[in-house]
Amino acid sequence: MAAIFEAFRFKQKDTFMHRLDPRTTFFMAVVFSIVGMLFLEIIPLLLILLTMIPFIFLARSVRQWSKSLRGLALLAGFILTINTFFLTFSFAVSTVLRLVVLMTAFSLFFLTVHPDDFALALIKMRVPYEFAFAFSMAVRYVPTIATETETIRDAQMSRGLELERGNILQRVRNYIPILIPIIVSSIRRALQVAESLESRAFGSTTNRTSLYELKLRKRDYALMVVSTLILVFALYITFIIRIQAPWFLPDWFFWHFPL
Amino acid sequence: MIIFDDVWFSYNPDQYVLRNLCLQLKPGQIIGLMGENGAGKTTLVKHINGLLKPTQGAVFVDGVNTRETSTAQLARQVGFVFQNADHQLFADTLQAEIAFALRNLDFSKAEIEQRVTRYLERFELTRYQDQSPFLLSGGERKRLALASVLCVEPKILILDEPTQAQDALQKQKLLDFMETFRSPDHILLLVTHDMEFAIRAVDRLLILSKGQLIADGSPRQILNNPSIFERARLLPPQLTQFAHQLAEYIPQFPTDITTLPEAVDAVNQLLRSRR
Repeated sequence: MAAIFEAFRFKQKDTFMHRLDPRTTFFMAVVFSIVGMLFLEIIPLLLILLTMIPFIFLARSVRQWSKSLRGLALLAGFILTINTFFLTFSFAVSTVLRLVVLMTAFSLFFLTVHPDDFALALIKMRVPYEFAFAFSMAVRYVPTIATETETIRDAQMSRGLELERGNILQRVRNYIPILIPIIVSSIRRALQVAESLESRAFGSTTNRTSLYELKLRKRDYALMVVSTLILVFALYITFIIRIQAPWFLPDWFFWHFPL
Repeated sequence: MIIFDDVWFSYNPDQYVLRNLCLQLKPGQIIGLMGENGAGKTTLVKHINGLLKPTQGAVFVDGVNTRETSTAQLARQVGFVFQNADHQLFADTLQAEIAFALRNLDFSKAEIEQRVTRYLERFELTRYQDQSPFLLSGGERKRLALASVLCVEPKILILDEPTQAQDALQKQKLLDFMETFRSPDHILLLVTHDMEFAIRAVDRLLILSKGQLIADGSPRQILNNPSIFERARLLPPQLTQFAHQLAEYIPQFPTDITTLPEAVDAVNQLLRSRR
């Protein structure tokens, strides 16, 4: 389970992707997610995924990415079974692919953008400071809560808890002894953090300046232009061609499994 | 009996957290485990109830290889009280909290009821029995966590940092409890940074540093070897430090002092001999 978080845990590295402006990376993640949501055909989704893979290599984060893919396997298996059972196998495969596309798009963002830089980017985009800060705090605490979850699971397993015991309903209920301590200790921590922020004069000035300024460079503009083109192209295919002239689309576009 | 047979463990391939660990823990003893932060103490004890399995080597608990059993099965013999009570309390009432482990291990209904009553009483929690665990004070939560593990009546008990954030009275109560747990077929393993407490509580002290066992013996034997302390970033008890510093001025003053009565005795003798 916790392996999924690997894909969203920022690692300090010096790569092309890490040097990009957070706004660029955010824009790319949003574009790829939208494009992923536009299609439900297997081959187009695979193409989108293939377009993203070079960026993962550029960010030198292939290991983390593949690790979280394996973490996703359980959920993917679940989606695959349910959808195949109620709908078709092809639909199930494309749903899983869509999930992988979404996860990859956002893991690319979270792997390469430091939470603080993202907060800066949000402020540049005129989001109020309090909200930007809350967001970067939330991201900051994901790994902490992931570690805590493991400790809690260990503690309950030491008391004889077996997660894989019983029927489906029972299995879901097996997670209650893990979920409640997570929620309780998160609330406790939130109160502590709030107190410690106030004691350090959080929000005492309205005009807050920052030490680092974000700056868009040539490569940022270039990538944003490329992303926009991809988005426009995808929108054009889905909303114009597919509706008005689907015969222009090649056969492979609609290829699916026979079942 | 717990046996670590040449245990190596790593979370990721390039870095071993435990290295070449050979260890036998015999019943009837209270054993302390100490070492610097990140030395591998928690990793070591998690091997005893199968939460972690060795990367290399094997761990045997009462003759059973932990690789061939599950944590749930080991829970009958091994009780593990975690550092932070908030990581294990979740139920609606204190009664349900204590019953949790017993239900997981398929105890009979009558047996569960009986044990819940007994352990609430033993840890002075009966008057809160229908309350939520989250309404208890810190010390009470800690006691409840202990009761909810101990109700299984395990032969092996692991306490991870039980003295953290506890006042002197709670520490004394914990010490009293540890003495009551002592029996010819019980093993109690105490993981701690609290040297003063460890010296008072344990028969045998293990010092772990960077994943390796660097000392194993009675507290007194280990206190006589200052180099171990430096390696494991531990400080000897204040009384021992005091004795060592005093011995620089008065060579006949004994340096192997660990407890208050010993120190009083030594000072008393010194004063008498000077008179």
